[in-house]
Amino acid sequence: MGQHKAVILCVDDEANPLALRKLVLQKAGYEVITANSAKEALALAAARNFDLVLSDYLMPGTTGTELAEQLKAEHPKLPIILISGVNELPAGSTIATAFVSKIEGPDALCREVASVLNLPPEICEN
Amino acid sequence: MSTHEPVNILMVDDQPGKLLSYEAILGPLREKLVKANSGREALEYLLKVDIAVVLMDVSMPDIDGFQLADMIREHPRFQKTAIIFISAVHLSDLDRIKGYERGAVDYISVPVIPELLRAKVSVFAELYRKTQQLERLNRELEQRVTERTEELRESESQFRSLANSIPQLAWMTHADGSIFWYNQRWYDYTGTTLEEVKGWGWKIVHHPDYLDAATRKFQLCLATGESWEDTFPLRGKDGNFRWFLSRALPIRDVNGRIVRWFGTNTDITERKQAEEALVKSERLAAMGRLAGIIAHEINNPLEAISNAFYLLRDHPSLDEEARYYSKLAEEELGRVAHITKQTLSFYRESQRAIALALAEILDNVIELQSRNLHMHSVALEKRFRTQGQIQGYPVELKQVFLNIIGNAVQAMPNGGRLRIALRESSGRKSGRRGFRVSICDTGVGIRPEHAKRLFEPFFSTKEAKGTGLGLWISKGIIQKYEGTIRFRSLSLAGRNATCFSVFIPTSAATHPTEIAAMVA
Repeated sequence: MGQHKAVILCVDDEANPLALRKLVLQKAGYEVITANSAKEALALAAARNFDLVLSDYLMPGTTGTELAEQLKAEHPKLPIILISGVNELPAGSTIATAFVSKIEGPDALCREVASVLNLPPEICEN
Repeated sequence: MSTHEPVNILMVDDQPGKLLSYEAILGPLREKLVKANSGREALEYLLKVDIAVVLMDVSMPDIDGFQLADMIREHPRFQKTAIIFISAVHLSDLDRIKGYERGAVDYISVPVIPELLRAKVSVFAELYRKTQQLERLNRELEQRVTERTEELRESESQFRSLANSIPQLAWMTHADGSIFWYNQRWYDYTGTTLEEVKGWGWKIVHHPDYLDAATRKFQLCLATGESWEDTFPLRGKDGNFRWFLSRALPIRDVNGRIVRWFGTNTDITERKQAEEALVKSERLAAMGRLAGIIAHEINNPLEAISNAFYLLRDHPSLDEEARYYSKLAEEELGRVAHITKQTLSFYRESQRAIALALAEILDNVIELQSRNLHMHSVALEKRFRTQGQIQGYPVELKQVFLNIIGNAVQAMPNGGRLRIALRESSGRKSGRRGFRVSICDTGVGIRPEHAKRLFEPFFSTKEAKGTGLGLWISKGIIQKYEGTIRFRSLSLAGRNATCFSVFIPTSAATHPTEIAAMVA
């Protein structure tokens, strides 16, 4: 890692997956801040800068796609990755920078995050 | 008839005085009285106007009464004209009068009794009037019969052009159900002649599987007089069956007796196909939704567990043994993820079947495999005789062909030939129209002991490389299309050929096919 750790906003309504995803990303050397709803994520994004938002797709209330739309409206350059357990690519998900399936596992997630942040994939090997 | 239409009464006498007295006597009858002073004048009147009764004196100069009567009788028009002679009673006269008995002839002796004369004339006048009326009625009736015949001819020709213009096949039967008439569309569709299909000859265009039931149902209706309705396939002149909704109604006479049946057959093939496609796509959509829900519910915890093991991988607090257990668990978890992906992810597409071309799907798969083909020195032979337009889901079909073609390439590690053909075909058992894709390779072949288990889940000849689910899933996908997947493997003089044949139907089933259980 360089001079400053990339800061990721991680969003999921489910506590365990959110905590574990945070740890995986931290292990890869990122700084991670979590939000358990789209509403909280929007509030955090308004308060400070993030290098990336990694959000679950299917959440009660506001979906990841809707969250991405709202974030893009405020922060057009903020990269957003949607992560989901659903099989089909949801309608409107192209608003996100990338879409990752949960089934692909931590290595794939790590590679995708590195790619979106323009970091070398070796960052994931530890 | 109550209306009194005056008739002409011709009075003939050479004495004007007598004519005047007759006129006075007959005046109250309100008939039209015509006077003639001689036989000649009487004849002139007779030719000019219709005369109901001739009243004449027997003794007249020039032409006497009898001569005039003879002349009148000779003319066919006057053969029935009533004649009343007025005469003094002579025996010879009476004899002669009797000679006219055949016609309407009477006589009055002199002196004339007015009441008697009036009564006799009145009777003949009335008779004439009635005859006239009858004749007029008769003419009117004849006219009406002619008109009705013309109307009937017209209405029959209208019926024929109507019967030939409706989109249905139509026919008529006698009361016993034997058919004596079909419309043109019947002949156009079936390519039969009346000779072949009259009576009960129509059975030749019925599908044998449905004939007995249809005949039984029709005969039941013939017996009860209830209108008939049934659905069955009929063979067209091209040899293909199409589905028809058939109806017949009894036609009854005034007494309620059935005299014939009028029936139609409406082509419902397209409607039936659309309905079947709808049912199928709804079922697929439901399956897709279910698969989506299951996938989601499995994938969420799966990700969390994978992440947990990922974090444990090199965790400093774990000793060698614990790390080994963790590694095993993570590997096994990888298998769970792989199977979930394999079985639940082929629903990963739109929930609606779309129009697609099998040729395009195959080209797509060939392109994906092109590097592989090149690397293994496999020569490709492509024989597409049709575009293979069907309704379906591109991704899952790609999965099927990628699987079979991938297997074929793997079976030829030292090179060989791969032939991929697409053509129109029909189902071996069902006879349904559709497309057949055959994929043949010259690879190592399938060992007979493996052949039976090829489509079983978790059966693999590729040792660690395969999941053993590829063909099992492919079969499940093809069964969703009510299609079939088969293979043959031949070995001759050390040379092998293995062919996989996939049939996907496009037409409605002529057999109520058991829909094979889909991949759960």
